Amino acid sequence: MANFIGVFLRSLEYGSFYALSALSIILVYKTSYTTNFAQATLGMFNTFLVATLVMRQGWSLYAAIPIGIVSAVILGVLIDIVIIRRASKAGPVGKQIITLGLISVFLGLTPIFFGVDNLSLPRFISSGTLTIMGTPFSYNALFNILFGIFIMLTMFATIQKTKIGLAIRTTASNETTARIMGVPTKTVTMAAWAVAIVLSLISGLMTAPYSSVSLTFMNDVQITAFLATVVGGFATFHGPVIAAYGISVLLNIFQVYMPSGTIWGKPLLYAVLLLIMYFKPYGIFGKQRLKKV
Amino acid sequence: MKKIMKHPYSQFILLGLVLLTLPYLAEAGAIRNSTVTVIGTTIIYTIAALGLNVLLGFSGLISLGTAGFMGLAAYISAYVTETMALPFELAVLAAIVIPTLLGILVGILSLKFEGIYLGIATLVVAEIFREIFINVTSFTGGATGALAGRPELFGTFRLDRIQTYYLIVVVMVLIFILIHNLTKGHLGRALNAMRGSEAAAQAMGVNIFKYRLIAFGIATVLASVSGVLYVHYVGLSYPTTWNLMLSLDFLAIIVVGGFRSIFGTFIGSFIIFAMSELFLKPIPALANITPLVKGILIIIFILYYPNGLANIKHQVSHWLARRKGKRDAFGQTKTEKKNLTRAEVRENDTV
Repeated sequence: MANFIGVFLRSLEYGSFYALSALSIILVYKTSYTTNFAQATLGMFNTFLVATLVMRQGWSLYAAIPIGIVSAVILGVLIDIVIIRRASKAGPVGKQIITLGLISVFLGLTPIFFGVDNLSLPRFISSGTLTIMGTPFSYNALFNILFGIFIMLTMFATIQKTKIGLAIRTTASNETTARIMGVPTKTVTMAAWAVAIVLSLISGLMTAPYSSVSLTFMNDVQITAFLATVVGGFATFHGPVIAAYGISVLLNIFQVYMPSGTIWGKPLLYAVLLLIMYFKPYGIFGKQRLKKV
Repeated sequence: MKKIMKHPYSQFILLGLVLLTLPYLAEAGAIRNSTVTVIGTTIIYTIAALGLNVLLGFSGLISLGTAGFMGLAAYISAYVTETMALPFELAVLAAIVIPTLLGILVGILSLKFEGIYLGIATLVVAEIFREIFINVTSFTGGATGALAGRPELFGTFRLDRIQTYYLIVVVMVLIFILIHNLTKGHLGRALNAMRGSEAAAQAMGVNIFKYRLIAFGIATVLASVSGVLYVHYVGLSYPTTWNLMLSLDFLAIIVVGGFRSIFGTFIGSFIIFAMSELFLKPIPALANITPLVKGILIIIFILYYPNGLANIKHQVSHWLARRKGKRDAFGQTKTEKKNLTRAEVRENDTV
């Protein structure tokens, strides 16, 4: 039982990483109508910036994070103004490939700015463990869980209850109508990109201490986040987030309780998800968009 | 003569002949030997991308699993020729049939999905393959990779590097002709109808189930051929090669080159894979910025040529025609266009 609680808490922690990335993907999808394949790379780039400040310049982590957030916001605004706004002529696949172009650009920029070596990043809370029902658990993990849930709740409250959220929802449901109604859709899209990249950065900062900051360290998180968005459905904001936590729990259960689970846990999870997708092709929380003939 | 040159077959064969001369040029010292290798791999990627172009360009179904199927074929071919020591022809057969059956299975699954949901579903399949590549070490050699020799035709002719290159070029020309024929015939029309509207296509008597499976089948066959050629030309295969980035690169080839265009696929492949290798890598100062340049090129091409480079000649000829005062697609000259009223402009837009 103690083991199970440990597994469950760890799932919640990894679920935070996936959910943050999934929320980042769905925000961009809803406002720009494109799947952002560059989500991981943009998160990686900003995490590299923070890691460089901490490891090379000797800054404190808490001083470096605001710089990372500012850089993320600037990147989001620039990407929207310079590229996404001009891509109105490109088709849906074309827009996705633009984000592939972004991956390439930032994979090229990172070694130029931050060098080719992998960096390591300290945890938010460097030491201390507490025991929950006989399971040792670090304060940092607890912080990751709570902070992840806090961000989710803040984002949902903003989207559902505030005027800004209303603007986002209107843009998401129909951009042309939203513009006619006086919603500044361009600003909304720009802000969505900025927030999305900040969310990727936070996901990166949480993930990095468990591996190292390398060019590809976010890729696995991104693929799981994509799965979460599809399983949860692109139709809602909360679907992908709930799916992200669910996938994390499933993955950890497979990996711990299955024989040779560390090897075959992931493929089995993918197969199970494929099965879920087969019976719920528009996501568990999604609904089919009816097409007129 | 001009008529013969206009025929697509002769254009494909001409392209093949031009590519066949490259090894001689390299021998004469006009180009580097590595250039031939880069062009060889570019052709291999063109073949896989062409399969995806049939799937995406004609029938409008997206796949992010191309790299997975290509990798599966590569590993099967390497395993059959090296570990089981069976003839090359048998390896090719196994490496095409097994992935294609799986590809058709994905096609059956795909009936449920649309758009990006289908993309991620195929990505999941490719990720399952990738886990197999990493973990089933007896089959794939795990992280150290699988080795494969050059192809040995009919058990007697062992090809060398240049001869393998010739084989690749010949296969490319044959596939170009085959795909040209298939897509110009009733298959192409059925797929086109399906892309426009599945309901309308069904009403016209197009069997959606059958044609989706055929489209997935063609895409997987070409990905498999490309995987077999890859592993015997490059000589090894790592699990890290067959990831999402490669599948996205194939998509980029099609978008940059142009949907439904065979030459466009070749041009796109050249831009995505060969351009930076040939022009930037040899210069030490620029070698580090190759991904940067590639990314910027992709973005610029999509922003300014959203219909792909294959349509560039139409754009140029339209522009020239308008400059010369000839009539454009709406039957208007440049000066006439300036004098249009607002209502007439709107009418043009709706056309």
